[in-house]
Amino acid sequence: MSSLSMRHLLGLRDAKPNDLRVILDTTRSFRSILDRPVKKVPSMRGLTVVNLFFEDSTRTRISFELAEKRLSADLVNFASSGSSLKKGETILDTLRNIEAMKIDLVVVRHSGTGVPAFLAKHSNAIIVNAGDGANEHPTQALLDMYTLEQELGSLRGKTVCIVGDVRHSRVARSNIWGLSALGAKVRVCGPSTLLPKNPAEFQNVVFTTDVRHAVNNADAVIALRLQKERQDDNLLPSLREYRNFFGITEEVLESSKAGVKIMHPGPINRGVELDSTVADGSNSVILEQVSNGVAVRMAILYLLSGGLAHE
Amino acid sequence: MNKVIKFAGAQVFSQGKLSQSEDSFWLDGKMVDKPSGEVVEVNAKGCWLLPALTALGVDFCEPARDDIYTLKAGFEAMYRGGFYSALLESCYNPIDSIQRLKAIQSECEKSKLDIRHLAAISLNYDHQNLSEMLELSQGGAVGFGDGGELPADLLFLRRAFDYGSMTQKRFFMQPQEYSLSSKGYVHEGSIADGMGMRAIPKIAETIAVYELIELARNTNCPLHLKQITCAESVDLIKQAQKAGLDVTCDVSVYHLLFDHQILRKLDTNAFVLPPFRESSDKAALWEGLNQGVIQAISLAHKPVLEQDKLTNYESAVPGAISLEIAFSALWERAELYLKDPLADLLKLLTIGPNKVMAMEDSKLNWFLFNPEATVELNKCFFAGQVCNSPLLRQEINGVVQGTMFNGQWRNAQ
Repeated sequence: MSSLSMRHLLGLRDAKPNDLRVILDTTRSFRSILDRPVKKVPSMRGLTVVNLFFEDSTRTRISFELAEKRLSADLVNFASSGSSLKKGETILDTLRNIEAMKIDLVVVRHSGTGVPAFLAKHSNAIIVNAGDGANEHPTQALLDMYTLEQELGSLRGKTVCIVGDVRHSRVARSNIWGLSALGAKVRVCGPSTLLPKNPAEFQNVVFTTDVRHAVNNADAVIALRLQKERQDDNLLPSLREYRNFFGITEEVLESSKAGVKIMHPGPINRGVELDSTVADGSNSVILEQVSNGVAVRMAILYLLSGGLAHE
Repeated sequence: MNKVIKFAGAQVFSQGKLSQSEDSFWLDGKMVDKPSGEVVEVNAKGCWLLPALTALGVDFCEPARDDIYTLKAGFEAMYRGGFYSALLESCYNPIDSIQRLKAIQSECEKSKLDIRHLAAISLNYDHQNLSEMLELSQGGAVGFGDGGELPADLLFLRRAFDYGSMTQKRFFMQPQEYSLSSKGYVHEGSIADGMGMRAIPKIAETIAVYELIELARNTNCPLHLKQITCAESVDLIKQAQKAGLDVTCDVSVYHLLFDHQILRKLDTNAFVLPPFRESSDKAALWEGLNQGVIQAISLAHKPVLEQDKLTNYESAVPGAISLEIAFSALWERAELYLKDPLADLLKLLTIGPNKVMAMEDSKLNWFLFNPEATVELNKCFFAGQVCNSPLLRQEINGVVQGTMFNGQWRNAQ
């Protein structure tokens, strides 16, 4: 297997297509391991990973933990509640203290944009971004890309439509960067209040507020979770209107390609961003995404730790 | 089936001017050759047959305040004033759901007039919770409004504009910064100072005009500023239009007729908000019409019960009605201010408001106007039970004789 040109995985915005290719190809190998009766490999034996979650997480944290266990790494979980952070310690001091305990990799999630990059700059540990603010969630995007390749083959020229609260979505951003890097055509759709105000940053991405236009001839649709607090913030009048104008229903999908793949990063608000008939339909690959998540994270951890286990 | 109508001796307004006085025959709103059968004859000697008018800014109060005024009274007022189309926005009845929109549309259809509706930007005009603007737009709302009171929370307003911009429907907003105006009731000028009355400065309007224009620029949202009153607002809007923004505005009938000198009479029927400003402002408003900065004349038709006007000035309820008398009150004044008086005035009461609402001009509806007739405006002249006009008990020259709407003749009174 080839190695990565990057030391950390902080985001996909500046990722090189070749690095993405290496991660996706490596994922394929780990995905096959997960289908074996014994799902564990010794690739990270002797290495210690700290899962530094400053934000609540269930899926991503479990997925990382499983990936780490299946690679035979030692892992430590850290949650900010009840930690020294609550006692006034800075995030950098927290990391340096943990680092002093001779750890190798840190998986970090934080509500602030750029925290993983900040930690990468000021510490010696290898950093994996598990979500920073509304900026990036690279491992989610990589598992989405892997799932799409699994279903559609090469992403070059394929049309992927992302629908929902794009403005506040780190999943959307990472997908936009990653999918574009691999040659997919990306369309983005949502209420104007939930779309970025300055789409010039997103070159070659089509922005629209018309969901039927967005899904027209699409190969895949990624519905984003709608946070209910968006209504309280007056970014939406009601979930009802959101569902009526932006919800992914069978009727909305009539103009997309036959067999259009339906994806969602979870957890789903059924009947809001996604109808149950679509979420549970034959074109849905939502559970496949979850399975692939572990494999993608195994590949990332393995590649970033590249050779550390043998030093 | 409609009968042929003969207007004996009328001058017909066509292609921007009045024709020679002659007999003309009309069927279904179109001029036809002299028929052989039965005709309805209207003595129209000395009268002008003019295209039916469009009323911006009318409030018919029903259902929430049908003790003041009703839809039926409003429709009657429209017939009396030569108005076939109107844009309804009630401060009492926010149209904040598709159910409310459908209910009022259904009631208005009975009038056989063309009544359009502004939907509310927030639930119950609370300025805290967005209404379902996409559904309201799809249901036929021509735009969105705030019930006459600008939200104080600019973040809310920005989000409303941003969300509503998806419909590309226009936002009709009353520019008024309430933190500067809430305790005032007259124009901040020499008269108010001389009489010791609490006043509203012009900046209460101009600051709001500026804010609204900036929000429209930021959200790419079509904007209509209702009832502007001063020269400074005209200048700000002119600059925005020059910059290519989709910003329109209107001026009310009475702001073209009066300035703050009318305060001296302490006539509560002349108590309106926003207040009448200086005579130089009135002149600037007419000039704004001439220059095309102001696209339409608004009726600002707000019925107020007589008992709410029979009190001291400060305690009176503001508002004036104008549907029955707007054209009569304006046509002579237009001679003084507009370049092509009749054609321009008609444009400001037909094509202008229609364009603001993005609706087509009605080409088949007409009203008959007698410029020679004189009438004293008494209570009977007005529909419904209200008569809150600053022109009450005054004589006006020029009277609407009747209408030919949907191909049928109807006497005005």
